[in-house]
Amino acid sequence: MEYIGTGLMLMGVGMLTVFCILLIVIYGSRLLIVLVNKIAPEAAAVEAAPAFNPAPVLEEAVKQLTGGKGRIVKISEL
Amino acid sequence: MQGFSDIMQRLYEMTAISSIGETPAFLLMYLIAFVLLYLGIVKKYEPLLLVPIAFGVLIANFPGGGMGVVQADPSGLVTLPDGSKEVIWDMPLHKIAHELGIMNYIYYALIKTGLLPPIIFMGVGALTDFGPMLRNLKLAIFGAAAQFGIFAVLIASLMLGFTPQEAGSLGIIGGADGPTAIFTTIKLAPHLLGPIAIAAYSYMALVPVIIPLVVKLLCTRKELCINMKEQDKLYPEKMEIKNMRAVKIIFPIAVTTIVAIFVPTAVPLIGMLMFGNLVKEIGSDTSRLFQVASNGLMNTATIFLGLSVGATMTAEAFLNLQTLGIVVGGFLAFALSIASGILMVKVWNLFAKKKINPLVGATGLSAVPMASRVCNGISTKYDPKNHVLNYCMASNISGVIGSAVAAGVLISFLG
Repeated sequence: MEYIGTGLMLMGVGMLTVFCILLIVIYGSRLLIVLVNKIAPEAAAVEAAPAFNPAPVLEEAVKQLTGGKGRIVKISEL
Repeated sequence: MQGFSDIMQRLYEMTAISSIGETPAFLLMYLIAFVLLYLGIVKKYEPLLLVPIAFGVLIANFPGGGMGVVQADPSGLVTLPDGSKEVIWDMPLHKIAHELGIMNYIYYALIKTGLLPPIIFMGVGALTDFGPMLRNLKLAIFGAAAQFGIFAVLIASLMLGFTPQEAGSLGIIGGADGPTAIFTTIKLAPHLLGPIAIAAYSYMALVPVIIPLVVKLLCTRKELCINMKEQDKLYPEKMEIKNMRAVKIIFPIAVTTIVAIFVPTAVPLIGMLMFGNLVKEIGSDTSRLFQVASNGLMNTATIFLGLSVGATMTAEAFLNLQTLGIVVGGFLAFALSIASGILMVKVWNLFAKKKINPLVGATGLSAVPMASRVCNGISTKYDPKNHVLNYCMASNISGVIGSAVAAGVLISFLG
């Protein structure tokens, strides 16, 4: 029981330090994002990749897994 | 006939059977090893760690095998096989290998020096993507709340009669981070390394059981159905990241600098974590370093760490009331960390317009990415369209930083 004071002090110091460090990380990261957005926003935009159509890949996968018996009825985004 | 019985007697003494018969505690250790092997191999609970640890337990408990780790007393004295005593720190490594066997060589060269946990942290960093955290920076604060379990169990352990150093090592199990728990225990209470490592990794393996249990006790269905994507649409983030690659490269350098200034004792962990992440984010220029950090080096370190940590669990070191306290205390630390993360989200939701799913708080403890996957499973059980994985990863990753900082504080004050 003689160490309870030490334990409470450690809890106070420990939790405060963890919160402070993470707050610094959070606000430091916000500052970093603002600076990067200002100084080095993405250079030349990369040519847009052609839209990916997953249907043929999914159909082929279902075909292979079900031995040609299964078919896809609907594909929807979650 | 006399000669024949002498030979049989000597043969009997040569085997481990006679010693096992004299000390049945070995049988209990084999049982523990088999249960851990079963959990790792059949149940697939963290097999990469549980299998080496369990096998280490098994081989350490065969009398005469010389594979059990011999713990030095507080003054550094170890008992050699001939009964003489010597200060371990004065023994050259080749003498340790010769007198005490190769497992002690591995333990004192790689574990006791604190080398392997930071190397594993480097691998963890190389496998971690800080993107979800950078996209949801606000959620990172819940990684701090979830460290409460560490300190609550520290106080409980002190009340139960553990020394402050032992209590700190026990509490750090609540950080749900194996390398951090091992690193802290090596510094504070090395004699408890075996049971603490086993408790830490076992509870990490049991995350799919413990998180749903705590969530069920503390959260309502309505809270678990909070859809974070809908909330994002209602209250969109004002800040857009235009150059994620640059931010991801600067982030590990900045975090290391901040932590090094405020909590230098956490640098071996955070520094290596961020170095691993940096070589990943730089890309092709450092891809060879990334490959080594995330594959070869990490796997090698895991094998040595697992086997030698398991080998610290010899019958005489493990079978005592203190171990029982560690197993119970470790579970409490884990559950309290999850609960405090959830409770902080609940308090946040009382005041904020943009509501947060309490599962984001539950993942504030480390155990990346399993905790996030488990919470995503819980949310989709209530609403199949409610995917919280990316949001949980934000607090989950900040939990790794939080637990390393908490470890740094404990080492600073108690080391």
